[in-house]
Amino acid sequence: MAGEWILNTIVRGIALGTPLLWAALGEVYAERSGVVNLGVEGMMVLGAFAAFALAQASGLPYLGLLLAAGVGALAALLHAFVVITLRANQYVSGLALTMLGLGLSALLGRRWEGLPLLNTLPEISPLTYGGLLLAGMLWLVLYHTRWGIILRSTGESPAAVDTMGLNVFLVRYLAVVFGGALAGVGGGLLSVAYRPSWTEGMTVGLGWIAIAITIFASWDPLRAATGAFLFGALFHLSFRLQTWVAPEPLQMMPFAVTILVLAVVTRRGGAQGVPEALGIPYTRGES
Amino acid sequence: MRVLRALLVVVVILTFAASGGAQAKLKVGFIYVGPIGDYGWTHAHDQGRKIAEKQLPIETLYVESVPEAQVEPFIDKLIQQGARVVLTTSFGFMDGTLAMAKRYPNIIFGHASGFKRNHNMFTYMADFYQVYYLNGLMAGALTRSGKVGYVGAFPIPEVKRHMGAFALGVRAVNPRATVHVRWLFSWFDPAKAKEATEALIAEGVDVFAFTEDSPTVVQVASKRNLPSFGHYSPMQRFAPRHVVSGQLVHWERIYIDFLSKVLAGRYTAENLQNVDYWWLLAEKAVELGGDFGVPVNPVWIPKLQAVKVQTREFGQISVYDLVNRRLAQMSRTPVAFDPFTGPIRDRKGRLVVPAGKTMTVAELTTMEWAAPGIVGPWPKEP
Repeated sequence: MAGEWILNTIVRGIALGTPLLWAALGEVYAERSGVVNLGVEGMMVLGAFAAFALAQASGLPYLGLLLAAGVGALAALLHAFVVITLRANQYVSGLALTMLGLGLSALLGRRWEGLPLLNTLPEISPLTYGGLLLAGMLWLVLYHTRWGIILRSTGESPAAVDTMGLNVFLVRYLAVVFGGALAGVGGGLLSVAYRPSWTEGMTVGLGWIAIAITIFASWDPLRAATGAFLFGALFHLSFRLQTWVAPEPLQMMPFAVTILVLAVVTRRGGAQGVPEALGIPYTRGES
Repeated sequence: MRVLRALLVVVVILTFAASGGAQAKLKVGFIYVGPIGDYGWTHAHDQGRKIAEKQLPIETLYVESVPEAQVEPFIDKLIQQGARVVLTTSFGFMDGTLAMAKRYPNIIFGHASGFKRNHNMFTYMADFYQVYYLNGLMAGALTRSGKVGYVGAFPIPEVKRHMGAFALGVRAVNPRATVHVRWLFSWFDPAKAKEATEALIAEGVDVFAFTEDSPTVVQVASKRNLPSFGHYSPMQRFAPRHVVSGQLVHWERIYIDFLSKVLAGRYTAENLQNVDYWWLLAEKAVELGGDFGVPVNPVWIPKLQAVKVQTREFGQISVYDLVNRRLAQMSRTPVAFDPFTGPIRDRKGRLVVPAGKTMTVAELTTMEWAAPGIVGPWPKEP
């Protein structure tokens, strides 16, 4: 009985955690470069729509996910241009991207409402294992390679990176676009695997949860994976436990416990805090 | 510059022309709580709006995804855009709509699913409780574990009434069955609906009904080969072999009736104090089925015919026949059968509907008690 409970909760945690993980990993890299992107929800919902539409038309969910990555990257490129090249406020641009994504996908998606999807991915798919592998690889790259040092330095002290003769703008562009591609995949996983259908606004705030996980995981890919799966499991449990616990306080439980656990893990691990230059546009010759 | 000025003149002329033309037509504004693509409540209202616009000499405006607490400025905006009739379609819009009705005594207001009225504000509802009872009969026949699941949006009277009718139906066929409830506290949240369904499956539930504006519950159940009942929109297409039936709505029936009476001058901003549409099966405002014109999915008819129950009215009868008999009784005017006819005790054993009595509309719209057989949390349980 207890074994069945634990197993079931783990499976559910992985199922909902997978799309969250992809989106959170993307945001970890974007923010490590010093760029906040609050457009995760928007990029995810665009990815969800793109993946569903193509998977529906072609019968190939992986092809749909590929398009979702492309669409997410493209949306992120827009954000990158606005905040890196034009030096606009990152928070405003990200929020605009979220609204744009929600609106655009709703508008374009009308025709796909109410359509079933015949070829779907299982909830726990190669993308789940791929996501975990990716988390490990991104952690290795971040902490144990020259690229990782460059990425982290760009988020901490872009002027120093610039002085070394490296291109701050290029690093940030790449990180933001990479992040967008992963957010697109995360959204796509929602519409071709987790809940195979298209409904406008179907990301229902999961993009914001991915951002929260990024922050509470201290911008660490492995901790982000922990946070994503933990949140998924607790989210499921909050419904499982309704037989015994009043539903109102249970609503908060997945958020509260995830934050608490990640806070404790971070304290023990002694990770660095927020990237110093996070949210600040870089201008050559200043600071 | 000259081009720009010329363009501006054209725009101004067009604007006036458009508003001039519109004055001939009655402008009706709709306020929706969700996105029109939600495939549920808002989607259904929007379908009704479109049909009404096609059939009547009216022009419609709408705003979607309006937060319940912010309905007033949105109503203001619709009136500024020329709306003479404003219809708000969520229970949570009730007080805001009433406040605006008092502020604009010459505008006609309508509120769906509430109970507060004014001389210029009527109420309307296409209610499902009869249809839920029929679905309950079928769910009671189909459960093997004796555990039927219900994923509920908010614990408000409307949802409680529907679950109550559903549970009464389940128990009428299967007196030992229980109805297990999970609350989402959202009208639209596929992720919550999905995990709530998974939680019920983990507890042995094998038949599902729900109130949430997406086909999620249907999809999750069908993946496990379990039957379910669609909600609000035609959901049989999402699980052609697993959706047994469900409830469908025809808001256009109410919209066309009311707006034609406004156009004919019978309803004005002066005489709506007692206008309440409470339209059910008999008025064809609601329909039984997982798809229009399909009351019971043919795949499931043999299974429902195989289950026999003993009833006082019809003797030994199959559940399929019972559903059809009850449907016919409730589609008549006046109705020959109402699920909320006493004696009914709530799950705590308290007598809530005395023998021989049928619940009134006022009682139904404020119902808080849990029907027998319901298992799970029940906020505000008396």
